[in-house]
Amino acid sequence: MADVTAAVRSPPRPVEAAADRPGSIRVDHLSHTYPARDGPVPALVDIDFAAAAGRFVVLVGPSGCGKSSLLMMMAGLRHADSGAILCGGRPITGPDPLRVGVVFQEANLFPWLTALDNVAFPLALRRVKPAERRRRAADMLRLVGLDGFASRHPHELSGGMRQRVAIARGLVQDPPVLLMDEPFGALDEQTRMMMGDELLRIWSQTRKTVVFVTHSLGEAVYLADEILVMSPRPGRIVDRIAVDLPRPRTYEMMAQPEFSRLRDRIWGHIRGDHAI
Amino acid sequence: MSRDDAVGGAGILALRLLLVGGVLVLWEALPRSGLVEDDLVPPFTDVVRTLWELLGRSQFRGDLATTALEIIAAFAIAAPLGALFGMVIAESPYLSRIFDPLLFFLFGIPKSIFLPLFILSLGIGFWQKVAFGCFSTGLLVLLSTQAAVRSVKPDHLLVAHSYGATRRQIMSRVYLPSMLPILLEALRLAVIFTFTAVTLAEMYASRTGIGHNIETWGENFMMKPLLAGVLLLSLTAILVNEAIRWVERRCGAWRT
Repeated sequence: MADVTAAVRSPPRPVEAAADRPGSIRVDHLSHTYPARDGPVPALVDIDFAAAAGRFVVLVGPSGCGKSSLLMMMAGLRHADSGAILCGGRPITGPDPLRVGVVFQEANLFPWLTALDNVAFPLALRRVKPAERRRRAADMLRLVGLDGFASRHPHELSGGMRQRVAIARGLVQDPPVLLMDEPFGALDEQTRMMMGDELLRIWSQTRKTVVFVTHSLGEAVYLADEILVMSPRPGRIVDRIAVDLPRPRTYEMMAQPEFSRLRDRIWGHIRGDHAI
Repeated sequence: MSRDDAVGGAGILALRLLLVGGVLVLWEALPRSGLVEDDLVPPFTDVVRTLWELLGRSQFRGDLATTALEIIAAFAIAAPLGALFGMVIAESPYLSRIFDPLLFFLFGIPKSIFLPLFILSLGIGFWQKVAFGCFSTGLLVLLSTQAAVRSVKPDHLLVAHSYGATRRQIMSRVYLPSMLPILLEALRLAVIFTFTAVTLAEMYASRTGIGHNIETWGENFMMKPLLAGVLLLSLTAILVNEAIRWVERRCGAWRT
């Protein structure tokens, strides 16, 4: 009975409600042009997409297509000429670490800080009390599987471990969105595979909205709910692919025809625009 | 560190001590045995005794204090000024383009050739030593600070920005720790440069200071106090150098 009245009273406006949820992202007709010596160079053209809260979205495209620039704009680190980026229904106008965490291609840890202090860095900037900082950073290190490495410095960690610390740093303020700019690009193939699985495990535990940039087709299909394929410069979205492979994803799925079909579809776009 | 390294390290240390000990033993034995003229090379223990006597004289202690003050004053003026100008120039691409080549030209010139000009314009007193010390050191600090600023990784700044760091936080939490190892090394070299410049200026023309004493003893062939002075300055320089290196190691352990 109570359920019925509740259903009647709350107006059914699913679209707005979804767009206002904290982790939702909307990139609204975004374009950007770089000034250059020979005149302006269009970099991004009419980028338009939405990601519901909790989705894993992968941006894939050839080098120089502007996918990293787009991610930096979503992080509030660069501004676009036109269009808007909304996160949880509110525009992104500058860095906003409480809404958006960022993980960069190189882990970019501070070499003079321990793993724990690197993770706690965003909290230190906001003057969170040292005891609480340590507790929350330690929780994050546990989440990324680095229990017992808190007091190590970055040069004492492997490439994969450093990237785990960077992910922990991105998550420590519990932002609803995690932006990842080719985070595994500098890792070797095997580490990269393992980090993909790790990321999916962390994602399934935290249910963040993830926007993940890569140029690896296999990685895109393996990780994504949805893939946005970008063209070479000027970057525009040329295809949107929903990946319906079941979760949890496994290594064996990469041998399935569906997996190959999706990878071939992305490659078709990239090769097609890239006529040799 | 493996066990082999540790054993090798101990062996190396023993050899070093043996080498230093050997030199001292020769220094003592050769003049005593008459193989070397003891007017030319007085035995080590005699030199140490002379040093002890010198340290007992208030005039000598006054000279030491003068030299120390000159070095400290020169360093205290040159290091912050050099660091400040280094920061300002390194942070401005425009100023860098103007000043960089000029600074490099200046840095390459031996500073000692300007000593007579300093005497002609400032005399031979305390502040002439300080001025010459500053002149010799400032440029080194300035160039090192520039290098330190340029060693700050843009990616680290990007990370700090992405987590909403303020300007002050970026200064204190990214710039300073990034620059510290290079800055400390620069300061260590700056101390050595100042030391050299001040003692050189004292030896060239002065009425006070340990450099002046050494010069006088040398002129008059007074080997015992001369060697005692050399011994004292060498030990002081080594101690200061090692003290800063100790701080460097503590602050720069991550630089490997």
